[in-house]
Amino acid sequence: MTDLQIYLTLAVFAAVIVAIAFDLIDMAVAALLGVGAMLTLGILNNDDLIAAARSAGGPLALLFGGMVVAHVLGKTGVFERVGQHFLHATRGSGKRYLLLLILLVAPTCALLPNATTVILLAPVIISVARALKVDFVGPMILTAIVSNAAGMLTLVGDPATFLVGSSIGMSFVQYLQKVSLAGLLAVLVVIPLLPWLMPQIWNARVELPPAAAATRIDRPAFVALTLAILALMVGLFLFGENLPTRIVPPAVAIIAASLALLLVYRVHIEPIDDAFQAIDWKTLVFLGAIFCLVEGFIKTGLLQGLSLKLYGWFGTEYALVALALLAGIGVLSSLLANIPVVAAALVMTKGYLVAAEAVPEIALGAGFSDWPAHTLPVFIAMMFGATLGGNATLIGASANIVSAGICAKQGERITFVRFLRFGLPITLAQLAVATLYVIAMVWFAS
Amino acid sequence: MIERWQSVAVFLAALLAGLHLPAHAGEVLDAVKARNELRCGVSEGIAGFSEQDAGGRWHGLDADFCRAVAAAVLGDPDKVRFVPLKASTRFPALLSRKIDLLVRNTTWTLTREALLKVQFPGVLFYDGQGFLVAKSSGVNSITDLNGATVCVEKGTTHEQNLIDYFAARGLTVKPLVIDSSARVAEAFFAGRCRAYTSDASQLAAVLAHSPGGARGFAILPERISKEPLGPVVQGGDAEWDTLVRWVLYSLIAAEEQGVTRANIDAIARTSQGAAWRLASGKDERLAQALGVRRDWVVRAVKAVGNYGEMYERNLGRDSPLNIERGLNRLWTQGGLLYSPPLD
Repeated sequence: MTDLQIYLTLAVFAAVIVAIAFDLIDMAVAALLGVGAMLTLGILNNDDLIAAARSAGGPLALLFGGMVVAHVLGKTGVFERVGQHFLHATRGSGKRYLLLLILLVAPTCALLPNATTVILLAPVIISVARALKVDFVGPMILTAIVSNAAGMLTLVGDPATFLVGSSIGMSFVQYLQKVSLAGLLAVLVVIPLLPWLMPQIWNARVELPPAAAATRIDRPAFVALTLAILALMVGLFLFGENLPTRIVPPAVAIIAASLALLLVYRVHIEPIDDAFQAIDWKTLVFLGAIFCLVEGFIKTGLLQGLSLKLYGWFGTEYALVALALLAGIGVLSSLLANIPVVAAALVMTKGYLVAAEAVPEIALGAGFSDWPAHTLPVFIAMMFGATLGGNATLIGASANIVSAGICAKQGERITFVRFLRFGLPITLAQLAVATLYVIAMVWFAS
Repeated sequence: MIERWQSVAVFLAALLAGLHLPAHAGEVLDAVKARNELRCGVSEGIAGFSEQDAGGRWHGLDADFCRAVAAAVLGDPDKVRFVPLKASTRFPALLSRKIDLLVRNTTWTLTREALLKVQFPGVLFYDGQGFLVAKSSGVNSITDLNGATVCVEKGTTHEQNLIDYFAARGLTVKPLVIDSSARVAEAFFAGRCRAYTSDASQLAAVLAHSPGGARGFAILPERISKEPLGPVVQGGDAEWDTLVRWVLYSLIAAEEQGVTRANIDAIARTSQGAAWRLASGKDERLAQALGVRRDWVVRAVKAVGNYGEMYERNLGRDSPLNIERGLNRLWTQGGLLYSPPLD
């Protein structure tokens, strides 16, 4: 890529972000225009589009499958039932509603992909908000943010954390010992902010009507089969990779979606065309376009090339590098999909540590696990920045975009600024906690 | 559970983000042409291989090879940006695409190709690890270094070779590992170690610049390793790998055919023989397949001469180092240099 192409890439990217941030044009249109500009300027070529398609394929399959299964589940009345239980548990208190939401979302994200969790829980969260007569936009944004932060609870909670952890040979137990507490703190730090960010919901009190009789189930066989598909999907998410034929999460989502659509077709719940129309295609197209834009950004090599710059700026001051990565990757992840950012940042960080001679050159290859203790905070800071930074803006994480798409379908549009009003303070608080955690790690390591 | 993200992670990290993983075929060549400049990673200063003179011009075998590639690809040997690199920063620079080509006294090893996903298109210089000692030290062979402190540069293959060699013979050695080749030399001449181990060619360069002249020092005759030094490219871009390899082979083939910087135009005017085919640059189809101009060989040879000219000017009899060609002679003269047919 020439210097001119690099500047053009940054300009196109900045233009898209500005257009979305200031609500100048529809965000999906802005992203598509950005991709079109990059294609016209020769920044993206066929190979890049194929790479972007591969990159986006997994997340989009997960979203598509989640949307289909959630739509079919919606036809069973199961959301109404769960919603009734949830509503009853709130006892009419907005505060209890928000706390229970966190309690529901965080552990679910330990089992299911973040965006899938948002899709599946959204009908319940929205129905309870309506019953409590509060705006559901705040809770939906909270759901996305908590799902992102909860991804840090375990090594496998989020592809980004897994990517970093596995690339440095960190085991599940080591992750629990060294990082999970930070994930828990990142979730808990949201709570004291809620009275300030969502005062109307936090202070809401409504008199709940007496518990109504449970919704009657008209088609028990259909409900049973749908729940069986849901159970199969969750089961395969957890154990699919251990089967003789490995089934990866995106494939699980496609299998579950196919079975759900077959069920709809055979039981004549609705025309298949209606089921397809219920899919939030705009969100899927937007995410696909964002992946193409990120491909263009990564292609500039700017992020990867920072490895030598980092060494020039900070030498072997690993604590400073860790904090710089926490902040820098945090900012980047708030504007770019965090997984490609993490992948690029890994190259950068490993390159820095090799250049600083903290590790031999073979550390640049796969499978190296002999990382000295004093280098771990550098990787963990990068993990924090990537995972938590995505909470700041509407486009920082796929869960955020999905959440906005669901709200739009319910008639409530989430603009960039509206999301930022919740996302930015929470992200700053989370990154502050993460900074203290990294400083403590450095202190203990030294 | 842990495995459940593996495919997603591998997809998203490895295949998808691109990054230091395999480049697209032809990607580097396209980028070099678009930039109209070759970014070549070289040493921070190793006499005979890559060092800057007072006027800022780079000299040496490695620097000349960069020029030959630039001449073949861009038609101009001066369209090279030399990027000086420490040993420890060379692979991060290559893998993060800060450079297009690494030509920095780098030993071709399986570990590097397999783990770092880089490719060595060929061997530019056959070297071996030797020992520089002060004549006054009384050391005449490696066994005399039993128990001694030996200076060695960090981030190279030399340290492990040193340890392995001594351990295999029941000898002991205390490696003094130092950051850069310049500092290793300083430490050696300051008497902090009894010997300095590195590639023999590098020791010859250090010897040529030794304080008080070369007479007080000697390179021991034994070699403890094979060090085939060569250019390095990022893995996955077969077209770039092929082009760099054949620039190297064309320089060797030119020597085999007696084509030199001085006679290449004259040979091109004749109309027969392998030397003419090499010099004439008539094979348009081949050049198109490689993605270069049809006179790419002519331009490379005109820029730096054939391999023999390049060697003698930088390392051999025309240089202060005066290193015997040894293994770097043509195969027809008892060396290892052998070019497959360019036809």
